[in-house]
Amino acid sequence: MSDTEHEPSRTRVPMPIATLNDPHLGDAAKNPGRVEGIIAVVFVLGIIMMAAFGAAYWQNWNPWILGGTLGAGLFLLGFGLTAWGKYLMPQGPFVEERHVLAGSTAERNALSAALVERSTVVVKRRRLLGGLFAAGSGIFGIVAIFPLLRSLGPVPGTSFEKTDWRRGIRLVDSNGRPIHKDTLRAGNIVTVFPEGHQDDIQGQSMDQTVLIRVSYEAFTTIKGRETWAPEGYVAYSKMCTHLGCPVGLYEQQLQLLVCPCHQSMFDVTNGAVPQFGPAPRPLPQLPLGINSDGYLVAQSDYHEAVGPGFWERTTT
Amino acid sequence: MPRLRSRTRRPSLAAFLLPGGLLAVATLSSLAVFFPGASASGQTAPSHVSSTGNLAKQCGVVNLKGVTSVYGTGNPFHSPNLNCSGGHIISYGDSAIDYANPPASYISAGALLFAQTCSSCHGSRANGIGPNGAATIGPNLQGVGAATVDFWVATGRMPATDIKAVEAERKATRLTPQQALELAAYVNSLDPAVPAVPTPNLKGADLAAGADLFSLNCAACHTITGAGDALAFGTNAPSLQNRQVTPQQVAEAMRIGPANMPRFTGNLTDVQVRDVVAYVTEKIQHPASPGGAGLGGVGPVAEGFVALLLGVGGLALICFWIGERS
Amino acid sequence: MSDATARTKRQAKEALGPYGRVGQVVGELDDRIGIAKGGRVFLDKIFPDHWSFMLGEITLYSFIVLIATGIFLALYYVPSATEVMYNGSYAPLHHQMVSEAYNTSVRISFDVRGGLLMRQMHHWAADIFTGSMIVHMARIFFTGAFRKPRELNYTIGIVMLIISIFEGFIGYSLPDDLISGTGLRIGYSILESVPLVGSYLATFIWGGTFPSNAVLPRFYIIHVLIFPLILFGLIGAHLTLLVRQKHTQFAGEGRTEHNVVGSPMFPTFMAKTTGFLFMVAAASALLGAFAQINPIWQFGSYLPYKISYAVQPDWYMGWTDGVLRIMPSWELTAFGHTIPLEVFLPAVIFPGLVFNLALLWPAIERRYTGDNELHNLLDRPRDRPKRTAAGAAFFALLFTVFGASSTDVMANYFHLSLNFVLWAFRILFFVVPIVVGLVTYRICLEMQGVHGVGKRKRSVIVHLSEDGAYSTVTADPRPDDVRTELHPQPVPERIDIEPLVNGKDTETPKSSPTGVRQVTR
Repeated sequence: MSDTEHEPSRTRVPMPIATLNDPHLGDAAKNPGRVEGIIAVVFVLGIIMMAAFGAAYWQNWNPWILGGTLGAGLFLLGFGLTAWGKYLMPQGPFVEERHVLAGSTAERNALSAALVERSTVVVKRRRLLGGLFAAGSGIFGIVAIFPLLRSLGPVPGTSFEKTDWRRGIRLVDSNGRPIHKDTLRAGNIVTVFPEGHQDDIQGQSMDQTVLIRVSYEAFTTIKGRETWAPEGYVAYSKMCTHLGCPVGLYEQQLQLLVCPCHQSMFDVTNGAVPQFGPAPRPLPQLPLGINSDGYLVAQSDYHEAVGPGFWERTTT
Repeated sequence: MPRLRSRTRRPSLAAFLLPGGLLAVATLSSLAVFFPGASASGQTAPSHVSSTGNLAKQCGVVNLKGVTSVYGTGNPFHSPNLNCSGGHIISYGDSAIDYANPPASYISAGALLFAQTCSSCHGSRANGIGPNGAATIGPNLQGVGAATVDFWVATGRMPATDIKAVEAERKATRLTPQQALELAAYVNSLDPAVPAVPTPNLKGADLAAGADLFSLNCAACHTITGAGDALAFGTNAPSLQNRQVTPQQVAEAMRIGPANMPRFTGNLTDVQVRDVVAYVTEKIQHPASPGGAGLGGVGPVAEGFVALLLGVGGLALICFWIGERS
Repeated sequence: MSDATARTKRQAKEALGPYGRVGQVVGELDDRIGIAKGGRVFLDKIFPDHWSFMLGEITLYSFIVLIATGIFLALYYVPSATEVMYNGSYAPLHHQMVSEAYNTSVRISFDVRGGLLMRQMHHWAADIFTGSMIVHMARIFFTGAFRKPRELNYTIGIVMLIISIFEGFIGYSLPDDLISGTGLRIGYSILESVPLVGSYLATFIWGGTFPSNAVLPRFYIIHVLIFPLILFGLIGAHLTLLVRQKHTQFAGEGRTEHNVVGSPMFPTFMAKTTGFLFMVAAASALLGAFAQINPIWQFGSYLPYKISYAVQPDWYMGWTDGVLRIMPSWELTAFGHTIPLEVFLPAVIFPGLVFNLALLWPAIERRYTGDNELHNLLDRPRDRPKRTAAGAAFFALLFTVFGASSTDVMANYFHLSLNFVLWAFRILFFVVPIVVGLVTYRICLEMQGVHGVGKRKRSVIVHLSEDGAYSTVTADPRPDDVRTELHPQPVPERIDIEPLVNGKDTETPKSSPTGVRQVTR
């Protein structure tokens, strides 16, 4: 309800003419002359600094000179103006009455009445039109979203689940060089891609894989993967299963792949099972093979979707 | 070196892999055909050696016995099955990096030094076996190669002073660079292996290629500005901004993979390693901060503190001056 | 000058009216747009002078700096992911293939005159913008300025805060460097994690699978057009409401629920605030000159398979990064579907709860206290201990989570194990808000009970009389602690400026006997 106890009038109460020696109009400073002098010096320095900025820009001097002169000039001019306002301008204190924003009960009723009565008159008399307009607005609201949302991008489809790795495709590094089995020593890590895909966007993001030579004999990471790590080479998806950062940090003695973003740690010899940190799943392992020329190849695509979790992701 | 603390059955695996891997390398190396070098003796398989600036394709393998200063050549790794056709294989033998073992005259001085400084932890024959036949604290050093020993000693990590530390840290060393090479010569003489001590030639390095390689291979542990940081279980990647890190040490680290650092062997040519070394020693160690104070190169956290404390805080102090305090 | 000319001159001057040229201009404008009726009222507007009321001005003026520097940057930046060969002056990038966005951003830094300064000023101003917005919001919260009739203004403020956080995130991702690109990858994964619609949200907003060629132009338009337009509108509404409802004030002499006491708009407040605008711009310029921020040339162009260790987002996103690090790795898989709770909970639900709690707080407090009255006087935080404790706990939680985004830096600096630091933060997440809340509550109660808290203590002089009796007398306050304050009075209709126009300026008296009260610090 509106506040009826205090209704100040909207017309201002005229005050007498104030004389210059009214303390409300006076200087707040104890020594106005000295303050004025200080502010004058500040202004002069500010002008000099601003001019210096102009010169620095013209002469293309270093960024710190440009910024230093600009900043000093702005600060001095601003400080002078503020000090003038604080010490040498009327501080008051002055008082202003707050006008009650709310109207009277009668005014509120008048507004509500206009809304309710007029709309009732219209809608109750023309019910069909009211209903149709509501339906029209509704359908407009819905289809207006279509161009805003749907045209923005493609539906995900299988793009989150498939990579470009295929049976027999060679592993290449970021320059397109294939990896021969005899070129790496144990403890070596290389970022690899399917041959021909190292330069395309999808390749760089989804297909990225780390190849690590753990030893010189084939080993098994997990039961059922006996052929996946020939001659000590093992390959895992480089996309962290937490948030997709490249897991490029390999600790050779601990045999850990550590994700640099949030420090998830994956056990390299054990199927990249996360030992610590927020990653929920092991890094998918790429089944490796060695072709007749001695180059490392993939046996197939990854057996599960790479990267972070999403609704449609099924676990194998 | 202390046993590494870990959670699963990994202690046995790590303890197996490191000396096991080194032994495997040593075994394979001893089967190698001799690498043709500048010295006239011991040449068997013919090979193509080029000492020009162009990349040469090396067929054949390292001459392990009696390798002294082999200028202009230098396959640092044994690779018995290099495929020389079609440009598929990483080539060596260019002028980007010279690999050389320390001179044989260093071996006797090295033997003495080793007995005084290293044998207590690594065994009198550097094979990780103590006087009673029990395993020593330090691992087997036979077959690690001269570059490995030179790196660990020249950076001061060895001799280790804190045997309980997870990783030996770089520290000021009482051993001189010459003494490091003497130790390297001695240890290498027990079971010669690769890599030999690299000397990168920085003239003509491509800084842009080095920057690109650094961001792909090194930034994941050492950070993009080379500041280094703590890794898993008490390990850490040291700061490369430290100007005491020499070009030789960077090249050694890349080729040998010390401690938890991975090895970069057959996937990087000598030119590429040299470019990375140049980028580290020029740009990482001498960061230009054209924008002003570098704030430690730590990143947005430091910037946020400065913005909040100096920026907002300073302006709030100005508000305090302008306004009333009641 | 002849008599005739002088007469015409005097006549011409008199024809202008008593206020000369200014009066004539006022008249012309009034004829056309009617400024007279509201203009005087506007110039008489009173602004309370407390220092904490100026925090919102820091936000507003840094926004102006952002617009000005942003226009400069927008003239040189190209929002394209097309690969080009870098053609600027920074040697370690020579002949590298980089995106056009990265290329133009580095060229702004090195090859455009003043470009690096503008880039740095823009980024520092953005940090100050969000920082001061949160400090301002905290002031509003702790003094209860969000209560009726200002709930709408408060809501507009929180909405602006949310938009500004995203605006900053998108802004620093525009240069397409390694660090910010990693942040975009994380953002994409967070969108993916939403149940049911996550993968669609991600491909729609990004225009495809990550990293998508469509996202940079799209984010550019959001950053320079869509969000700034929305912010302009909201700032306009925010300030309009402020003018209409008038500013709140603390209780004090002459200050009631029905008035505003302070200094007038013209000339005092305008001078102070314009000077402050210059000083905020100066802060941005000085930081931009002397402190390097976001050196993108060191990071290199973004590639999805490259990463740096110790990557952090800008500070106002740090709290989300922290909570992502400490969340345990719980992922739900059932019936052929996956809900990645380790992403969804910390990155979607937790910020949602935080923002919704902030938005709903006026309603929560109204419900809890049953207070539906208009409030124009502010509370001192200590007088509302429960609200202050809740707010302190809230901010302490956010600060803890922000600290958790630096687990690796802390482990490195304090030589602790990373695992230990992480577990410590998991525990602190729960313990810190509770402890801070309880401690704040007790401190507020204590401060309420203590007489004269915040005032300088006055010594007690002990007298020993001749017959051995002790008595105490409180000493007078120090002269510096006493200041005179005038009683508030309305702005005068007219000021008699004759002495200034015709004669010498009269000295203002040092003190006036009437309408004066002593205030002791």
